[in-house]
Amino acid sequence: MSSEEVIRAAAARLAASGDSRPRAARDPVNLPMIRNWIEVIDPNGRDDRDTAPPAMIQVWTMPGLHGIRAGDDPLGQMSQLLDEAGYTSVVATNCDQAYHRYLRTGEQLSVRAGLLDVTGPKRTALGEGWFVTTRSTWFSDGEPVATMDFRILKFRPPQEIPTQEPPTHASPTSPMLPLVTPDTAFFWEGTAAGELRIQRCAKCGVLRHPPGPMCPACGEASDGGYAVAAGTGEVFSYVVHHHPPVPGKRLPMVVALVQLPEGVRILGEMPGVRPDQVRIGLPVRVTFTRAGDMSLPSWQPAEGALPDRVIDVTPTFVIASALATRDFQDVHHDRDRAVARGARDIFVNILTTTGLVQRYVSAWAPDAVIRAVSIRLGVPCHAGDTLTLSGQVAAADGDEQVVAVTGRCGLGDHVTGTVRIERSR
Amino acid sequence: MTPPGVGAAIVGIGATEFSKDSGRSELRLAAEAVRAALDDAALTPADVDGLVTFTMDSNAEIAVARELGVPGLSFFGQVGYGGGAACATVQHAAMAVATGAASTVVCYRALNERSGRRFGRVAAGATAMPTTSGVDNGWHYPMGIATPAATVAMVARRYMHCFGATSADFGRVTVADRRHAATNPHAWFYQRPVTLAEHQGSRWIAEPLRLLDCCQESDGAVAVVVTSLDRARDRPHLPAVISAAAQGAGPDQFTMTSYYRDELTGLPEMGLVGGQLWRRAGIGPADVRTAVLYDHFTPYVLIQLEELGFCGRGEARDFIAGGAIELGGRLPVNPHGGQLGEAYIHGMNGIAEAVRQVRGTSVNQVPGDGPVLVTAGTGVPTSGLILR
Repeated sequence: MSSEEVIRAAAARLAASGDSRPRAARDPVNLPMIRNWIEVIDPNGRDDRDTAPPAMIQVWTMPGLHGIRAGDDPLGQMSQLLDEAGYTSVVATNCDQAYHRYLRTGEQLSVRAGLLDVTGPKRTALGEGWFVTTRSTWFSDGEPVATMDFRILKFRPPQEIPTQEPPTHASPTSPMLPLVTPDTAFFWEGTAAGELRIQRCAKCGVLRHPPGPMCPACGEASDGGYAVAAGTGEVFSYVVHHHPPVPGKRLPMVVALVQLPEGVRILGEMPGVRPDQVRIGLPVRVTFTRAGDMSLPSWQPAEGALPDRVIDVTPTFVIASALATRDFQDVHHDRDRAVARGARDIFVNILTTTGLVQRYVSAWAPDAVIRAVSIRLGVPCHAGDTLTLSGQVAAADGDEQVVAVTGRCGLGDHVTGTVRIERSR
Repeated sequence: MTPPGVGAAIVGIGATEFSKDSGRSELRLAAEAVRAALDDAALTPADVDGLVTFTMDSNAEIAVARELGVPGLSFFGQVGYGGGAACATVQHAAMAVATGAASTVVCYRALNERSGRRFGRVAAGATAMPTTSGVDNGWHYPMGIATPAATVAMVARRYMHCFGATSADFGRVTVADRRHAATNPHAWFYQRPVTLAEHQGSRWIAEPLRLLDCCQESDGAVAVVVTSLDRARDRPHLPAVISAAAQGAGPDQFTMTSYYRDELTGLPEMGLVGGQLWRRAGIGPADVRTAVLYDHFTPYVLIQLEELGFCGRGEARDFIAGGAIELGGRLPVNPHGGQLGEAYIHGMNGIAEAVRQVRGTSVNQVPGDGPVLVTAGTGVPTSGLILR
């Protein structure tokens, strides 16, 4: 049998064998762990002494620093098989959690896991690999309280450093950046500072975008003067780009040409916004999106938008959040090991990302009940980066709302997903 | 009466086959097309003293001259702005002939656009060029407007919003072009017409543009020979007299992204070209027998019809309804199948078709002897010709 056939046969066998035996959490749901978690994930957030943040569900049953996976854990068995076949590296790609109810301190949990699906081998940007999806169900005294579908990519790390792409070809991840000249520097300094600046002629006062070195209205040379835009506008026209791929962008994407009340137009992506949410005339507000070491203007619908949350991803944040989520994988705390595994630096773990997304929405809707968090991971968020969370109400039905959340870092989208919430009447 | 003109004519046309993989260098394609055009005009490389091409062409005039054994060049040049250069190469050649700078000038364009560098892909280096174009691209590429289709889609959406045009209105351009290509053995889409339903069923590229709103990608080359009217009379074919030639760049002009003008529903640079052409040729839109309109993306065919005065603003969708731009209609457009149907040779194959229409040798000949209009790339600084 070829190794592919061995993997497929094992996957079929594991999937057919059903869920693992219940594995008990080491500790009951407890306040010290909750407070450690909130302290790093959401330092300004409210801490409810009676219930645990729902996105902590996976934390309670993590195996710990010296933990050993149960012999019947399907992910452990599948991982071992893939390790032996040379697919030794791992990255989490998707996490869909649904919470039946909130947990109270003192509850003793157990978890059962089953293998849902194994697909591959697939060629990915990281290397050839297999996607492994498991479903975990948590129980409290026999009552199911939460489920999670978790997908990882087990991949074969490339043997050689990939050859440099010729500069005229689009690399799949590095975003394109504007050329900064003496005529345009004020604009990009503005976006970096969170300001949308419009060139203003010192002599005749005309506002102009895109800017240039000489006023076409009166001939005055630019003195670098500008007005700061209110940051609002209306969609004048827009494109939904489907094909071909654009570096650093997730498709399809909406790009809007926005008419500002100041009289100029400025182009920008509407990241995370669905095409059916956009129309000509839609009121929008500016946000700023990191791209490399620059900030690009982008647009969000003015209504139903959550305020951005900007997280300074220090090494301390990466390590403290990994430990607070009881994730002791070396890539989250040991830089040398992370680099040896092909990463630029230590990077944020998926339990933290899940937690950040949940708490971002909770902070905006403190009285809402979180029903589900569904995220897809994109580029890694390394120590030294900045993570900007933005959100938008994507759908509402009675008491229930779906909030679309995007988290962007220097390399592009780190996370996109949705949070389903229920507003109390 | 001598028709008004610039004192020059196109006396030879030549082309390679149009394919998806020529298997040859772009220089070889250029040399083959130029030689074919000279053969068509019963001229030799020794008669050539001028060469003009596109700034985007990868084959320098001297390289082409070397391959052909042209003894010397007294005039050579390149015209910028992508496909907007097409008709301008002929204008520049005609001006050289008219001023005596040269006597016989060949205009050429050769590209392996399908098997080599594909324009429809994102050129990530576009924002790194230390030029004004690089700076301009920086306002659009990083934000995600990074392909020609996307740049046009922005204008198309606004046009639809303002005038009520629909995707099906754009699709009628594709249907007409593909119908014409279906009877042109030189066309890539020979014997492959499409229906409006097929257009409507094709996938999104950059909404509101579908795959079938975007012209194909081609390998191939086209060349045309320009000389004075006096010399033209001795050539074997009926000369295609250049009644008028014009270039145009509009106010606040960008390359494909003139998004900062008051309105976003026109192509003022094409309006400038049209105004000059009608004035210089002493004719109006109603006199045109057939028009070869640049069709890299369908919406710009509608807007050209309006800019050139064939119909009023926002009326192109009514103008083209009912097959008006198909053979037998009130204004047959792109009888060779256009770039959507024949090949994407950056507009040069359209000039060759206009010459055939003047000669009366097109496979889809439009009856009559009236003037033929040709336009070049849209959304960019552009150009146009009237031949008769």
